[in-house]
Amino acid sequence: MNMLRILLIDDTEKKVGRLKAALVEAGFEVIDAGGLTIDLPACVETVRPDVVLIDTESPGRDVMEQVVLVSRDRPRPIVLFTDEHDPAVMRQAIQAGVSAYIIEGIQATRLQPILDVAMARFESDQALKAQLQARDLQLAERKRIEQAKGLLMKMKDCNEEQAYTLMRRQAMSKQQKLVQVAEQIIAMQELLG
Amino acid sequence: MNTIPPVMPLAWVNGSDAPEKPSLNIGFMALSDCASVVVAATQGFAQPYGLTLSLKRQSSWAGLRDKLVSGELDAAHSLYGLIYAVHLGIGGGAASDMAVLMGLNQNAQAINLSAALQRKGVVNAEALARLVHHNGARLTLAQTFPTGNHAMWLYYWLASQGIHPLRDVDSVVVPPAQMVAHLQAGRIDGFCVGEPWSADAVAQGQGFTLATSQSIWPDHPEKVLGCARAFVEQYPNSARALVMAILAASRFIEQSPENRRSTAQLLSGTAYLNTPAAHIEPRLLGDYQDGLGNRWQDPHALRFFDQGRCNLPYLSDGMWFMTQFRRWGLLRDDPDYLGVARQVQQLALYREAAQALGIPCAELAMRSSLLVDGSRWDGSDPHGYARSFRLHAMHDQPTIRVGV
Repeated sequence: MNMLRILLIDDTEKKVGRLKAALVEAGFEVIDAGGLTIDLPACVETVRPDVVLIDTESPGRDVMEQVVLVSRDRPRPIVLFTDEHDPAVMRQAIQAGVSAYIIEGIQATRLQPILDVAMARFESDQALKAQLQARDLQLAERKRIEQAKGLLMKMKDCNEEQAYTLMRRQAMSKQQKLVQVAEQIIAMQELLG
Repeated sequence: MNTIPPVMPLAWVNGSDAPEKPSLNIGFMALSDCASVVVAATQGFAQPYGLTLSLKRQSSWAGLRDKLVSGELDAAHSLYGLIYAVHLGIGGGAASDMAVLMGLNQNAQAINLSAALQRKGVVNAEALARLVHHNGARLTLAQTFPTGNHAMWLYYWLASQGIHPLRDVDSVVVPPAQMVAHLQAGRIDGFCVGEPWSADAVAQGQGFTLATSQSIWPDHPEKVLGCARAFVEQYPNSARALVMAILAASRFIEQSPENRRSTAQLLSGTAYLNTPAAHIEPRLLGDYQDGLGNRWQDPHALRFFDQGRCNLPYLSDGMWFMTQFRRWGLLRDDPDYLGVARQVQQLALYREAAQALGIPCAELAMRSSLLVDGSRWDGSDPHGYARSFRLHAMHDQPTIRVGV
């Protein structure tokens, strides 16, 4: 069985350097596509990789889409590695932020060691995924918005819709959320009594 | 004690129409036409319907697609062409049932050429066709996704000028925010993209706008609120509430020029487009400059609402993209155009949402439009329409040769 040839696309801030070293250490042939994503189709044509690894969040993913479409009439087209191949592996990979494109026909078992290394080495943004208690937060926010709207109606002697419009315009032109402006109105009212 | 005004009735929340899933992840790409989604999520338009929307900016359409299919995103600001390509299984990933909940906007994409071509006098369609056909020039023109709207607008316009988009020029994919840099570096000669990236090229003196998408098809369908069909089947109340929130935000944006201007301000923020408001605002208000010295108030500029006319997911709008996929060989066979559109376009759900807000809905599920090449599209004969074009790639077959 031939060793798989991996093309590594490096166009985001994630540290691909360590990933490359780890894959080479694991015995894979790794080619680093450090250039411009616009040249990706030509690069794939020249390198003829079995596997292409790319950051799930890379803008270059849309360029890979072109590569996939152009290759679809070849004897062995390039396809996105999806949960049709192996649901568990794919989900893990996506969560870790790795997307893999493979030459159709490569077995998922041969891909597993590569993705294992990639998932371990790609920096993940799990911290960002911490979920807030959205429901409680939502109710609290809504009460604050209602309160600010009421204050504004009194201060400006306007109706409900006008008060909302004033608050929204203020929020949008300051690039803020509505609830932020509501907090400011309430704070100001507390200050001025 | 402060008197807290009574909270609005929570009928939607407490009744049988309460969203099954109250907190939704909504994807968007950094483009001016994501505005209604961003305004809905940040300006308190979802709470009255019992929803909290978390915005998730995406860096590629392919990534957005994968997350819609996997359920990591519940719904997203999407290309019409992307939703249909996934549904039909064209491109990366297997076919997966998709849904269009509503239209998000019409118009406001554009085809632009480089300042270098401008200096050579290639400033109109005739000069471009001459350059391509007689001067042996091989131009590289970029779009944003192989089955996306911008590829379709670019191909349609080029073909209407007698230029075959797949044979006479090279067509490449470039992410929207990178277009101007590639143009400046001479790696591409032109591109088709959504705002503000065309206005940005003009403002930086790197290119000029050759044709707006509304000159190809006035009030054409553009971005949609897309989701996996599983989402709308599993959470129909959440889906309806989401459409109501975004409809209310769309109506608000168009209520006054002040609201449009503050929308531009909001979009310019680092969390959204991260681009100067000065590049976003003019075209958002219909104030166009093409970089060739022409300035006009565009009657078919970016629209989010237009009394609901932008938002009804017409069957004919969805079908049009399938006819173009067929025309350019992306689809090798004719799909059941009407049957597929009926599955994807969530007309009934949209009508419920619009009616609850008192927004008028057209009775018909098709609309009739006249396009730049003089052809009329009304959805009545998609099979014939797909075959009606002189330039196409319908019969392109795999280049497999047997023998010599």
